[in-house]
Amino acid sequence: MTVGLNAFLIVAGLLFAVGLLGVTLRQNTLVIYMSLELMLNAVNLAFVAFSRYNGTMDGNLFVFFIITVAAAEVALGLAIIVALFRRRQSVMVDQLNALSH
Amino acid sequence: MTDAQILLAALLTPLLSAVLIACFLRCRGTLASYVSVAAAAAICAFSYLAIQACEAGPVRAAVDWLQFGNFTVSMGFLFDGEAATMLAMVAFVGLLIHIFSLGYMSEDKSKGRFFAGLSIFMFSMVGIILADNLIMIFVFWELVGFSSYMLIGHYLDTDEAAAASKKAFIVNRIGDLGFLVGIVYAYWHFGTTNLEAMGAAVNADPSLISWVIAALLMCGFIGKSAQFPLHVWLPDAMAGPTPVSALIHAATMVAAGVYFLIRITFLFPESVLGGIAILGTSVAVYAGFCAYGQNDIKKILAYSTLSQLGYMSAAFGLGYPGVALFHLITHAFFKALLFLGAGSIIHGCHHEQDIFKMGGMLKKMPITSITFFIGVLALCGFGIAGVGFAGYYSKDAILIGSLVKENTLIFALLLGGAFLTAGYMGRLFWIAFLGQPKSEAAENAHESPLTMLIPLVALAVLSVAGGVLDLWPQGLGENIKAGMKHLHHADTDHAAAHTVHLWAMVAWIVGLVGSFFFYGVGKNGDALQNRAKPVYEFLKARLWFDEIYGFYVAKIQQRVAVLLSFLDIFLIKGLFVRGSAGLVGLVGACSRSLVVGNIHGYVYWFLAGILLLWALAAGVAL
Repeated sequence: MTVGLNAFLIVAGLLFAVGLLGVTLRQNTLVIYMSLELMLNAVNLAFVAFSRYNGTMDGNLFVFFIITVAAAEVALGLAIIVALFRRRQSVMVDQLNALSH
Repeated sequence: MTDAQILLAALLTPLLSAVLIACFLRCRGTLASYVSVAAAAAICAFSYLAIQACEAGPVRAAVDWLQFGNFTVSMGFLFDGEAATMLAMVAFVGLLIHIFSLGYMSEDKSKGRFFAGLSIFMFSMVGIILADNLIMIFVFWELVGFSSYMLIGHYLDTDEAAAASKKAFIVNRIGDLGFLVGIVYAYWHFGTTNLEAMGAAVNADPSLISWVIAALLMCGFIGKSAQFPLHVWLPDAMAGPTPVSALIHAATMVAAGVYFLIRITFLFPESVLGGIAILGTSVAVYAGFCAYGQNDIKKILAYSTLSQLGYMSAAFGLGYPGVALFHLITHAFFKALLFLGAGSIIHGCHHEQDIFKMGGMLKKMPITSITFFIGVLALCGFGIAGVGFAGYYSKDAILIGSLVKENTLIFALLLGGAFLTAGYMGRLFWIAFLGQPKSEAAENAHESPLTMLIPLVALAVLSVAGGVLDLWPQGLGENIKAGMKHLHHADTDHAAAHTVHLWAMVAWIVGLVGSFFFYGVGKNGDALQNRAKPVYEFLKARLWFDEIYGFYVAKIQQRVAVLLSFLDIFLIKGLFVRGSAGLVGLVGACSRSLVVGNIHGYVYWFLAGILLLWALAAGVAL
């Protein structure tokens, strides 16, 4: 059985939707962060699928860049979250509202 | 010392005295009074030296004061015959009034302020006399206005004095506005405000004379000399101490307006002169009538001053500036005497000013009363067959002038004014000085101390002999002598002189005798008030000028001011200032509400932004 491109894209779309919902609805910063990574990986999956079906390496190349940048970003973001927790003893979004007027 | 240095010393000595008192002697009133009197004596001495120096010819000196581009304001002296005559009068009368103040103000609590005020006034007055250009005259003109304000309000805890000083200051500003515009116009017209330079320009080209400039400069004179329609401040100014009324509001400052006109005679065309003559004549008669409705001794004298200032401006308007100056000088002598005499009585009666509460002063205060009577006679023009007191010569000269110019209306009115003068002065004297004392204050009256009597006697001598020009010191009054000669150069003038001598004699005799019989000796009530109340009330109302001005200010000016204030608050402050600030604030409030401080809020905005961008890119929302 051959899995078609549409199947990959649907999975990628579902993953992206889950990530987006997680970003918009969840209160925990760590979960939001994970949801963001999920969205990135949904995009990665779409890239790889397109690359495979088109027989070019462009998409794969992009994916490597995204993984690298995402790794750097996660390192930074997690550090921020740890610093935030140390300071405020919470990572819940509704309590991190010091910038509201 | 050079001539200019002598003049500078005469100008700066009183300023020095004022500064000294203001800085160091405020709480040491007695010492302050001696400093001020010493300064007045120094002016006298310097004036004497300056007049000696002036005999060779006018003294001129000027320095540049301010320079803006090619416009230079200079400060300078022009010390000619007129200035010498005026300076001699101001210095001498000023010194006598300073000495009088020593006695009059001896009980006063704020002597330091009073004598500092007198000194700053002397400084300003000497400045006006010496000034050689319009701008410098204006500077010192405002300074005398300031010192007048300060001294009228000397009894600053009384409402009357506070209101009177404010009134004097504000009414003078109205006249000074015209004066200021006139100076600017004169500078634009002549390219200079120097008196001699303007005189030379007018001499070279008489078509340069402009009635607009003359009329504008006349406004300053109207304010300062309290001529119609700005005369209302002078009677109120009597709220000040009596020596101030004598010095500022009778002898010198109000006469400075006339002196100023005499200095700029050459700028006046016939039309404006005619206007001044009519103005002066009407004030002379109007104020004479007003005096009948007053019971306050100082107010009667104030209206008399108004009336005599009217005579001076009539003389000027008829084209006899020399005669106007003559009347100015003699008037200064006898009016200062009358005011100081009134001050002596007020001092003796413990600040009682109502003539119907005096009476019997002749017995209580003989020297004051006799000198006062001399002043009355001098003011009424007492004299027979060419010999008389000071006022006789100068007032008759004005009357002769009006006849020589064949201006019968002005002659008749001025002669009527002379009747009125003798009448109200007679009323004042018969009621206040003869008969029996009519109040406890008058009962306990006592003769004043020597410091007050010496000036009275000195001024009485001047009031008797001051009108005889041959007795004047060499170098003084050359313009007056020339003006008087000018009056007597034709045969018809002699006829006019005879007519005037006769009529003027009738005027003072009828006035004095008539008031003697009408008002009676030392009566309790005003005969006119008892016999013809409506007439008395009409005279007392002074043609309702104060009421009309009060109505204008309260009902018209105030309403315009309220309207303007409303426009200011509503339109400028409300709509423009608050409105634009409010608009910016609204934008700020809206954009601030976007700052929710919640990361989900920003996510939604981000999503909305992406949707909008997508819609734009796809051409959905255009």
